[in-house]
Amino acid sequence: MIYVPSTVPHIFSAMYIPAIYTGLIIGFFSLIAISMQKRDIHVLVLTDVVGFAMLIVVAGVGTDLAESFILPGLVVELAEVLAISEILISREMRKISADNPSASFNPMPMKYDMEILTTAPNFLSLLLIAYGVFLTGFTGGAIAGGGILLYILSRKARGLPVFVINGVSGVSGIGWCMWIIAFWIFFVAPQYWLLCLFLAACGLLLKVATKMGLIGVLMREEYGKD
Amino acid sequence: MFNVYIWFYTGIFLAIIGTLAACWGPGVKDPVIRTLNTEVASIGVSLIFLCYNHMLALLTLIATSVICTLILLRAISRLEEIGADV
Repeated sequence: MIYVPSTVPHIFSAMYIPAIYTGLIIGFFSLIAISMQKRDIHVLVLTDVVGFAMLIVVAGVGTDLAESFILPGLVVELAEVLAISEILISREMRKISADNPSASFNPMPMKYDMEILTTAPNFLSLLLIAYGVFLTGFTGGAIAGGGILLYILSRKARGLPVFVINGVSGVSGIGWCMWIIAFWIFFVAPQYWLLCLFLAACGLLLKVATKMGLIGVLMREEYGKD
Repeated sequence: MFNVYIWFYTGIFLAIIGTLAACWGPGVKDPVIRTLNTEVASIGVSLIFLCYNHMLALLTLIATSVICTLILLRAISRLEEIGADV
């Protein structure tokens, strides 16, 4: 007998058992495949699939709390993949330079020669950033961050100074502070809930937009060389 | 009539097939093909989220799976460039 609270709709409780079994099947298969793999980059790709199993098991519960647990799961998985891929690359570089100390690891030059990359990005990214700021919150942050990403990826001049990268991280920290202050005011003085809502939404906007902008900087370090 | 179960079971099917394709599917010796196969499973998970009305989770999943694919493809191409065994 499974206890189902009365607030859960019948249709969600009917989907619970298939969803849980799907999560278990996916987790089983992908973990077996990971245990049989020897090369690290394949294991990293399969870790992504194990993450899907986790997501399905959490989503199967079907409540709002479960949905709010999915979001940090996704973001942590993204950060983990980013960090481990950097570690893998630097480890391979160390291995190769131990065998052959004169090996060069400069990325291959890549030439984009497209008209659209020189004329459109200014207008398109301005439009995306303006719309993202108008939306605020998570979705707005994603859209504004997409605008920053487009602008950075399509510009020819490469290499932002370290100062600018540190500044972008600092703006992201200000976003966190706004968020925390908003939560604090919300519990201490609930009558200012509208102020808290907008403070939290703008904090989240800054946070998400700067995070996506940083990914753009990272990608350009590799590919934007000419 | 709109039937949620059609989309739900399509999502389950795609998620399982995508997982099998990423684990033992054709051509998975190449990490690029393995990465692209995980996208099938990701579409299945998106359909499951859609059936549960998890709108924010669905949007975040779409965004993070695109960025994850970019990061993995960058790592793979970088590893092949420096001549590592992938």
